Amino acid sequence: MILRLEQICKSYERRAGRKVALDSVSLELNRGQIMGIFGPSGSGKTTLLRVAAGLEAPDSGAVLYKGERMDEMSVIQHRRYRRREVGCVWAGEAWLPGMSVCDHVELPLLIDGCENRSARRVARKFLFVCEAEECADMDPEELSDGERQRVAIARALVTEPRLLLVDGAVSGLSVVEQEEIMALLASLASDAKVAVLVADTGASEILRADPVFYMRDGKLIGADPVDQTGKLYTLPAPTSHRSAADA
Amino acid sequence: MSAKHALLGLLRQGPAYPYQLMDRLEALLGPAWSVDEGQIYKTIKQLADSDLIEPAGGAREDRTERRHFYAITDSGGEEWDRWYGATQPVVRLPRRPLLLKITLAGGPERLKVALTQVNDYELECTKLLQEVMHARDEIPREGLHVRADHLLLRVNLGADINHLEGELKWARDARDVISRLLSQKAIWPSIRERSADPDEDHNRQGARKELFDQMAASHLRPQVDEKTD
Repeated sequence: MILRLEQICKSYERRAGRKVALDSVSLELNRGQIMGIFGPSGSGKTTLLRVAAGLEAPDSGAVLYKGERMDEMSVIQHRRYRRREVGCVWAGEAWLPGMSVCDHVELPLLIDGCENRSARRVARKFLFVCEAEECADMDPEELSDGERQRVAIARALVTEPRLLLVDGAVSGLSVVEQEEIMALLASLASDAKVAVLVADTGASEILRADPVFYMRDGKLIGADPVDQTGKLYTLPAPTSHRSAADA
Repeated sequence: MSAKHALLGLLRQGPAYPYQLMDRLEALLGPAWSVDEGQIYKTIKQLADSDLIEPAGGAREDRTERRHFYAITDSGGEEWDRWYGATQPVVRLPRRPLLLKITLAGGPERLKVALTQVNDYELECTKLLQEVMHARDEIPREGLHVRADHLLLRVNLGADINHLEGELKWARDARDVISRLLSQKAIWPSIRERSADPDEDHNRQGARKELFDQMAASHLRPQVDEKTD
């Protein structure tokens, strides 16, 4: 067991009243597993990922990483978790001006104290396996959406985390790029045994994930999601969505 | 679902002559229901032959033509009620001939032909989408009272718009995949001789596997001079 969320509740104060972002959410994520969560915008997916990343503390409930409660970790342990154990890809990543793609990818290593040359070598290696080596010296602004997403994944992976959280991984990408990104994440789970938690707005985008959950109004609904009218429907099997590149 | 029941439904509201039926059909349901003169007379003849409708008394003499009114019969009313009460059939996915062409292309040459057709299809969808959207814009805005026919026509056209947008998305996805396949010189399993040398892809897959295996085995960090906090 890599990550365990127990009865997580989180709400925000807003002018219009209190907004419940997470309502008793529990889940377990194992090594080598790729879990998908889909749901409409505002359903709590990002908050869930931010809580799992240790960026926000829940109002109640517990986040356990490898059996250890996050709220009981020391500052050093928490920093270690943030820097090395978890990798994050956020929708609408912030890119720093004046820095190349490769600069961005090696940044987590430099922050972690890695020596310059070694950081660059590792960054280029990860850009290569994420099919983004040609972008290394470009400005992030010049990248296509798909390239930017691959670069963001490379950056999340350079510290070789055991847990990868991906928010809005494939929405807005073409069907080919969606396949490539999901194939990369699937291979990361199956080969590198990284636990991957991927959230997106549509079920069709995250079909390679297994299991897949539906999120609505801060609640995680089981593997048989419920549509807007409250009817149950079954998701197609993840294997039915073959990559065009596999053909 | 057929024009037959659409005409029965219209005639249930009162007798009408063929031209009127043709106009009402499109006005109430949208361009998807436009039919030509031949179709409407053919359907009316079928309905009359089955005694579901009958000529209504008093053909009206117009300036230029004689208009024959038709009315629904009792058995026509029963048929309408039966059809109305029947459960909708199971939802079926459309079989797209274009998709068949793409799938069975067998190689890049024919796929190029299919790509042209996908582009044409996308163009036609866009034109039709504009037409239907225009038709929806033409529906008068609601005044003091809500008019049921206007509201229902809006729903009908909305369904057509959603459908066309789906078709457009499909066409764009197909174009995207085909262009990618053509530019990558993909491997076609049905062609004995491989048309591309997938060395680069192979190298990348190898590197990825090696790196990921390393991560799995040890989660080794890169050589880091760890700073003490």
